[in-house]
Amino acid sequence: MRTTSADLHTLTGAYAVNALTDTERAAFETHLLRCESCATEVAELTATATRLGLAVEFAPPPQLRARVLAAAAETRQLSPHTPRLPRARGWGRAGGLLAAACLVAVAFVTVQRTGSDDDRLAQLSSQYGRFSDLLSTPDARLVTATGAGGATGTAVVSPSRDELLFLSRDLPALPGDRVYQLWLIDAHGPRGAGVLASPTAPHVTDGVSGAQKAALTVEPAGGSQDPTSDPVVVIALT
Amino acid sequence: MPKRERSLQSLPPDAGPTAEPTADDLLALVARGDEAAFERLYDVVSGAVFGLIRRVLRDQAQSEEVFQEVMLEVWRTATRFDPGRGSANTWIMTMTHRRAVDRVRSAQAATHREEHVARLDPARPFDEVSEQVSGRLEQRQVRRCLSFLTGLQRESVLLAYYQGYSYPEVASLLGIPLGTVKTRMRDGLIRLRDCMGVTG
Repeated sequence: MRTTSADLHTLTGAYAVNALTDTERAAFETHLLRCESCATEVAELTATATRLGLAVEFAPPPQLRARVLAAAAETRQLSPHTPRLPRARGWGRAGGLLAAACLVAVAFVTVQRTGSDDDRLAQLSSQYGRFSDLLSTPDARLVTATGAGGATGTAVVSPSRDELLFLSRDLPALPGDRVYQLWLIDAHGPRGAGVLASPTAPHVTDGVSGAQKAALTVEPAGGSQDPTSDPVVVIALT
Repeated sequence: MPKRERSLQSLPPDAGPTAEPTADDLLALVARGDEAAFERLYDVVSGAVFGLIRRVLRDQAQSEEVFQEVMLEVWRTATRFDPGRGSANTWIMTMTHRRAVDRVRSAQAATHREEHVARLDPARPFDEVSEQVSGRLEQRQVRRCLSFLTGLQRESVLLAYYQGYSYPEVASLLGIPLGTVKTRMRDGLIRLRDCMGVTG
C-alpha cells in the first residue's frame, strides 16, 4: 500500500484486463473515486478489452439455455441502487469506507499469507467479488468493535442488499471440535448467521434487516441453534 | 424506488419497432424483470460470454459452471447497470472476465505448487492466443489492431486477458520488471483503443 498515486495511474491498463492482485484492485478502486481522468481512461480501456472478449465467441452447449432461463425465473433481482452520488462531491464517504475496508482487506491478506494456507487465500479471493460489490453499494456502512479478549470484528452492512460482510482479526485459534459462529441479534433475540469457515475467513450473510447487533461466539463444530457461550465480540449495527 | 423511471430513461428514444434490439435495449428491459427480454439477451450475448470463459478457463465443465453463474448474475444485477458508465456489452464482458479470472486464481491458489509452475511454462506459445482471434469479419479489426502493438505490449495484454495471468505472473513469464509490464499493458490497450476507435 506504499504505492503513490502516480504509480496508481499507470495501473489503468492492468486494471482493465483484470491483472491486479486483490489488494491492488481495492486500492486502485479507491483511487478511481477521486481521479476523474483515471476513471475515463479505465472506461475506455475496459471497453477496449471487451472487444478482445467479443472476438473469441463460442456457443455454449444448447442445454444450458433452458437451465439458465429456469434459474432466472426463480431468482429475485437486486433492488436498484439509490441514485449514485456525484463522483466529484460524493467520494468522501464512499472513499472513506472503501479505504477503511481496503485496510481491513490488507490486514486479512497479511494474516492469511503469514498463515501460509493456500486454501484460505483461495477462499478470500472467491469471496472477494462479493466483498467489493457490497462495498460499492451506496448505503454500505462499516462498523467495528473490539472484544474483551482483544479480537476485532468488523461488519460491512448494506441494508439495500440486505447483506452483511463479517471480518475479524486476532481471533484465537480453536480446537478442532469448536467453531466460531456469527449471530444477528434483533428484538426477538439472537439468530444464527452461519459458522466461519476459519478464524480468518471473511463471512457473508443475508437477512440483516432489523438486526441491531452482530455477535460472535465459540460453538461446537457444526454450530448451535442458540448461542452456548459468551460472545467473543459484539458489534452494534444501528 | 426510482427503478422504473431509470429503466425507461435508458431506453433509446429512436428504437423503432422493427429495429433489431441491441444488448443495451434488452438489458434495460431485463432490469425491469422482463424474462422474455432476458431470453433474447441470452441469445445475443451467450456466445461471447461462454467463449471468453472457455478461453480463460480451458476446462469445459468449469466453463459451463462459471457461464451459468455469470448469466444468472446478469439477470440478478441488471437493475444495477448504469448506461451512463458504459455499454451493456462492456458491463457483461467485464463481469464475465472477472468471474473467469477469479475462478482461475482460486483454483490456482488451491492447487499444488508444481501445477502452478506448470501453468507458468514459458514454452506455451503466445501465437496460440493470437490465432484464437481469427476468421470472422468483425474479429478482423481486432486482429489487425493487435498487429500494431509491439511484441511486449501484445503479449502483456493477451496473457492477462485471455489467460487470466496477474501482472506479476506476466512479468515473471516474460522476464521483465513489474513496472514495465504495467506500462506495456496500458500502452498496448491505448494503442488498441485508438486503432479501434473505442470511446468508452
